[in-house]
Amino acid sequence: MSAVTQIAPTPVAPVVTRPTRRRRVRKAAWNLLGVIVFLVMVFPVYWMIATAFKPGHDILSYTPQWIPTHPTLSNFHDATHMPFFWDAAKNSLIVVSIVVALSLVLAFLAALALAKFRFYGRRPFIVLILGVQMVPLAALIIPLYIMMSRLNDVKGVNHVLGVDKLGGVIAMYLTFVLPFAVWTLRGFLLGVPKELEESAMVDGTTRFGAFVRILLPLVGPGLVATSIFAFIQAWNEFIIAYVFLHTPQKQTLMVWLASFTTLRGTDWGPLMAGATLCSLPVIVFFLLVQRRIAFGLTAGAVKG
Amino acid sequence: MAEIQFIHVSKVYGGDTPAVRDLNLEVNEGEFVVLVGPSGCGKTTALRMVAGLEEITEGEIRIGDRVINDLPPRERDIAMVFQNYALYPHKSVYENLAFGLRMRKVPKAEQKRRVEEIARVLGLGEMLNRRPAQLSGGQRQRVAMGRAIVREPKAFLMDEPLSNLDAKLRVQMRAEIARIQQALKVTTVYVTHDQVEAMTMGDRVAVMRDGKLQQVDTPQRLYDAPANLFVASFVGSPPMNLFEAGVRRDNGRLLCRVGDSQFELPADLAAARPALGEYAGRRIAVGIRPEDVREASGWDGARLRGRILLVESLGSEQLVHIEVAAAPLERSDLVDIAAQPPGPSLGVGELEQAVTLLGRFDRHLLLSLGEAVEVAIDPRLLHFFDLETGVAVPSAVDAPVAAGVAG
Repeated sequence: MSAVTQIAPTPVAPVVTRPTRRRRVRKAAWNLLGVIVFLVMVFPVYWMIATAFKPGHDILSYTPQWIPTHPTLSNFHDATHMPFFWDAAKNSLIVVSIVVALSLVLAFLAALALAKFRFYGRRPFIVLILGVQMVPLAALIIPLYIMMSRLNDVKGVNHVLGVDKLGGVIAMYLTFVLPFAVWTLRGFLLGVPKELEESAMVDGTTRFGAFVRILLPLVGPGLVATSIFAFIQAWNEFIIAYVFLHTPQKQTLMVWLASFTTLRGTDWGPLMAGATLCSLPVIVFFLLVQRRIAFGLTAGAVKG
Repeated sequence: MAEIQFIHVSKVYGGDTPAVRDLNLEVNEGEFVVLVGPSGCGKTTALRMVAGLEEITEGEIRIGDRVINDLPPRERDIAMVFQNYALYPHKSVYENLAFGLRMRKVPKAEQKRRVEEIARVLGLGEMLNRRPAQLSGGQRQRVAMGRAIVREPKAFLMDEPLSNLDAKLRVQMRAEIARIQQALKVTTVYVTHDQVEAMTMGDRVAVMRDGKLQQVDTPQRLYDAPANLFVASFVGSPPMNLFEAGVRRDNGRLLCRVGDSQFELPADLAAARPALGEYAGRRIAVGIRPEDVREASGWDGARLRGRILLVESLGSEQLVHIEVAAAPLERSDLVDIAAQPPGPSLGVGELEQAVTLLGRFDRHLLLSLGEAVEVAIDPRLLHFFDLETGVAVPSAVDAPVAAGVAG
């Protein structure tokens, strides 16, 4: 259930002026490769959805059922009636919305400082942001767990942060989302010529007013890209949530999905139905905001 | 409308070299003053200090009778046109024009009236709903101008607003801006590195170099009486011819020696520039404008012999490069290097010390390459400068505001 976000532009075949035989063959080969890659990427998603609609005996048959011939909704019924489904859905929504909102605000302000102001320690800070992203998650889990568990004993903080608290998981996600978000937004902010703010300030806004009225709309695409990233990270994350959240009522959807695999085996139908349901919000969110990724919005600001 | 005063203004970036040094300049109410100089001379920094985009290290700037050193840009009531226009790309032309009014809480109906009026005057009426990206360079330039005009500010600040336009459009917009300024009578400070722009547009022109003001005067006086070698070489296109000469006194007469020819400096000239006498027995820098370099037929005064290196036909006249025997200026740091013609070309210079004189000659004169010519030199048209300081030898009538180039 990984939503594939395309970052690099689709490779475009060179404009053919005089199609020779060799060129045509080469082009066909590239197209074939593209189709193969596409199939490899899409197949798991297809299989997940297909399985979600199959009755139990079709799922476990030794001859694979490529197309669900007897589609049923019973898996979805089972999944949504599993214990703690709604708790998990609620928790996931809380975690994701707070992570997206906080990361946008914090990252925008941090990126603003990095892109528009000179201050002591700016370069080390930029290097730090890059460096943090290189540390593997697995290496951090145990120290972070120990740190979080100590927070459980700190009065005043311990009903928000700590092990088995949504706040703890949110804080963890932010530490992973923020560096990327700050870095991305900084790039977008650097792309806006400084004369635009200066002009706004001469025209009568305060410095902050210039940020809000001129810069913010111009880095819209950056904010969208960042929010998509934060959303996907927070929604799909499994390991941290699995390690830090013990009580079933406090688990997120990804941890809840894992509960389909028990010592007695895996209940594939409802699991796939649950997984399909879990993918939906990511797809919906992406469709909602992707229209706003319009690059080249600053065109025409300055002589181009 | 208000006057702008720079009083001992200095700007230092990061503790080392100053960008602007002790600038004193007064821009009168309704006046169009052009700051001009080669890149890095501090002219843009000076302008940005007025706008409030750059802090003032020392001294004070006044707009009207207010010291504006510590006021944020929005409270200075000035409008600025940027080199790259800085139009808000996410706003339509209308919104761009109205932005300043909106920030100043001008009533909606009034905003609409003023924006539409300006758009009509600038010929942007049809484009109010377009985005900047959909406009041509000239139209963007107009919007940038309109955005400044519509605010009816105390002063306009313009930072090389024409440098992004192509040559034809630049000439056209140059006249247009000058006309608008004359109609509105708004105090304007205009920054450019193009001395033609400076000369054609400004009521007065302030020439800067290395953060120091060299001379402020009307374009004509700047041209006729440059205060030092730098101004002399910077103002005028093609630039003034500069070379070294020796001065000596002989029976009470002042003689000037250029290369191997010698001529007398007439008594009236010596009287007008009494300081010239102090240079007797010393070397001096001599300048002559290209249009004052004439073909010598029919001239019974001083002549310089030379050889034609190159003839550039401009249609209305021809620009002739003539190699003459004379000592070139040694202190190249005193002049605008970019404006200096190249030295004698390889293989041509058989003279030990040669200078290329640029002359504007009548287009009907038949000249050919390599031809030997005689050039008439009228001593009254010469400019004299001190070789060490670069300062012009002061005239007795009105000593120009002189400033040494060096230091």
